[in-house]
Amino acid sequence: MNQFPDLTSFSLEAVLTILGMAAVTYGMRLGGLLMADRLPQHGRWAHVLERLPGAVLISVWVPSALSAGAIGIAGAVATVVTMALARNLFAAMAVGMVLVGIGRYFFG
Amino acid sequence: MSRPGPAQIGHFDPDTIRRGAIACLPLLPSTIIFGAVLGVLASQRGLSLGELLFMSLTVFAGSAQFVSVDLWRETIPAATIIVATAVINMRYILIGASLRPVFKGRPLWVKICGMHMVADENWAVTMTQENLANPGFLLGGGIFLGVVWAAGNIAGYLLGGGIPDPEVYALDFAFTAVFAALTIGMWKGKVDLLPWVAAAIGSIIGHYTLPGTWSILAGAGAGVVTAALTWRPDMDDDSLEAEIAVEGREAYGAPEGTGTTGSLSPEASK
Repeated sequence: MNQFPDLTSFSLEAVLTILGMAAVTYGMRLGGLLMADRLPQHGRWAHVLERLPGAVLISVWVPSALSAGAIGIAGAVATVVTMALARNLFAAMAVGMVLVGIGRYFFG
Repeated sequence: MSRPGPAQIGHFDPDTIRRGAIACLPLLPSTIIFGAVLGVLASQRGLSLGELLFMSLTVFAGSAQFVSVDLWRETIPAATIIVATAVINMRYILIGASLRPVFKGRPLWVKICGMHMVADENWAVTMTQENLANPGFLLGGGIFLGVVWAAGNIAGYLLGGGIPDPEVYALDFAFTAVFAALTIGMWKGKVDLLPWVAAAIGSIIGHYTLPGTWSILAGAGAGVVTAALTWRPDMDDDSLEAEIAVEGREAYGAPEGTGTTGSLSPEASK
């Protein structure tokens, strides 16, 4: 903990581990796109693909709002409502974060 | 910005890259703080700063990096770390698939270059652009987030503590908030309702029953299955024709039926 931070050393196993992590991650990013390119442009698959981003996005934030507890759920609802009314990303994020910040200060 | 459509813009137009970077500006405070938290963790787990930056720019995936650095030991459990990274980042298959319209009609090299700097944040911002953004917009956001992420790593690694607790300023909630807000921009009409409800329910069930980030896959899977099941062939071209035909039949039938006052009606004479 107290030793001077190690800035520039690269161990072989560290580099190989990181390259492995990078390869699987990039492979899935590019692979997903190339697989989708092979799906039909119309019909059921195109319809499913159009619903995909919303479904992924919801599945990312709904569990994380639940993890933040009641104040997290309230903050997410406030964010969504503000965005629906004001259509402004800054404002929506600010309302949600201020609410969560204040909520944690008083109830956390 | 005054250009007519995405088709005319080059693959990686400098102006579009800049706009993509600016669009990710609201994420600067949280990204830099979480980058710093990862930097502190990395210095405690024995990664060098060079190794950490190498990871941040080659893997470029926040949650997987946190888990990996946390698993890091003097004898690196390489297989465990790579498998954990694959599981946590499996959502990128879906994210990559959903980027099809952004890369539509672009050559393979653009896809190869454009798909590396794809994080959840610049993906979500790109997908909600009015005129669906092009690869340059996506890359601009990715470069911005990458630079901020790496700057946070350096600050955290060198300071080794004294980093403000993200929870105090609700900076951890910034990611939840940005994704929640951007969901509004993805609404395309009633066809989204059932898949979205299914995704929410699936991810909530996954959150309580599955470990880690499996809830993302559970929710996305539920949404995809629901979208496939609720699709009808008439969804693409609207059902206007059918409605006119029904109304027309009623218009012909009604006057004749109600207007039969006497023997003058053609039906009565038959």
